[in-house]
Amino acid sequence: MTEYLQTVFDKFELRVRRGYHYSEDGFWASVENARVKVGVTDYLQRTSGDVAFVDLVRRGSTVERQAEFGVLETAKTTVSLLSPISGTIEEVNGRLVEKPELVNSDPYGEGWLVTLVPRNLEDDLKALMGADGYFELMLNKLETDHRKLESK
Amino acid sequence: MKATKQKRAVVIPCSGIGKALGSVSREATYEVVENLRKGVTDTTCLALIVSGDEETLQLVKNNRCIAVDGCPLQCAAKNVKLAGGDLAASFRVVDTLRENRHLKPKSVTFLDHDGQELANLLAEQVAEKVDELLRK
Amino acid sequence: MVDLPEKKVGVISCSGEGCVEGTISRVATRLVLEKVRPEETVTICLPLFLAGGGEERAFAKYYPTITVDGCDKLCAKVGTERYSGKPAGSIVVTDLTKSPGCFRVRSPRKLDSKSLALAEKVAERIALEVDEVLEHRR
Repeated sequence: MTEYLQTVFDKFELRVRRGYHYSEDGFWASVENARVKVGVTDYLQRTSGDVAFVDLVRRGSTVERQAEFGVLETAKTTVSLLSPISGTIEEVNGRLVEKPELVNSDPYGEGWLVTLVPRNLEDDLKALMGADGYFELMLNKLETDHRKLESK
Repeated sequence: MKATKQKRAVVIPCSGIGKALGSVSREATYEVVENLRKGVTDTTCLALIVSGDEETLQLVKNNRCIAVDGCPLQCAAKNVKLAGGDLAASFRVVDTLRENRHLKPKSVTFLDHDGQELANLLAEQVAEKVDELLRK
Repeated sequence: MVDLPEKKVGVISCSGEGCVEGTISRVATRLVLEKVRPEETVTICLPLFLAGGGEERAFAKYYPTITVDGCDKLCAKVGTERYSGKPAGSIVVTDLTKSPGCFRVRSPRKLDSKSLALAEKVAERIALEVDEVLEHRR
């Protein structure tokens, strides 16, 4: 089985990583050793544009599910980062200060945003989708919301 | 016989057609070459470099080059180097954007106000670099 | 398995800084993408394509392309032939500017009203090529 579900829209390849959990807003959560790593989906980074700044809350901050834990500023817009999981921020991806483009180039890997110590993991995960569900949602969004992914 | 001293800087934009930052790179380059440092700078098409046009390759090999890239892919800088050009400096529009956070260039085809302002700011930075390179 | 979109044409344009026809190519292509045939077209960034950009090359491999060149150096056409295959259509702006009634304009940077009008004409030509290509693909 491949690591990603993928589709092509216009000339862009859009991927959804298997094994992760997804919110409708375009954020993923990956559970690793009782910690949760969080990032943005390929679809969200592509539609947002080239990332110029990533501003994240500090380590030790608590966040609720769907509450803002930072903002992502691109060349064309500002995106609120909404946590798919409630918990305490344990780690912040410091590399994004100097290399915010990692969010664009590797959204499921080196472009991760924060890791959390989850507070209510079981219930929070129930509110999220698996890769197949998010992939379906993404395809629908592409058909209805985005006639083009290229900038206008 | 001594080699002729390099007296020109060649400014090469990426001109990426899909993003506003590509348009900004192009406009900044024109501002330098046609206005700020007219007479001591030149520009050329990145496509001619990549496709191996002989005249263009000689231009970039025999002059100090400044790449002006829209985004972190850095097509201009990488390809000038690959072609054996003398890449003396490299700018990324996204870095100038980071220094001017209030600017949000949206339009690609014709630069909007923010895009034009960003291009002007970047052009000033490139012009300073031109001066530095030509002093050496 | 990657899904491939249907009924799309890649427009590969030069942006040649050296002459106004490069600007006209660029603007005409953008007009097609944004207004004239937004649903049917995709732009391929030429330098990225020539340098090996994955998405650019992949698209051009599977879908028809139309090249738009500013001058007779034909960077877009030659590059497409080399890395993808013969384009389905090819437009050279200097061929149009030599036509009776078209204007020779000077500044490569900003298009005045006449050169904008020419860019719109080129966009219409591109659109006709797009329609013809898609008609053959039905």
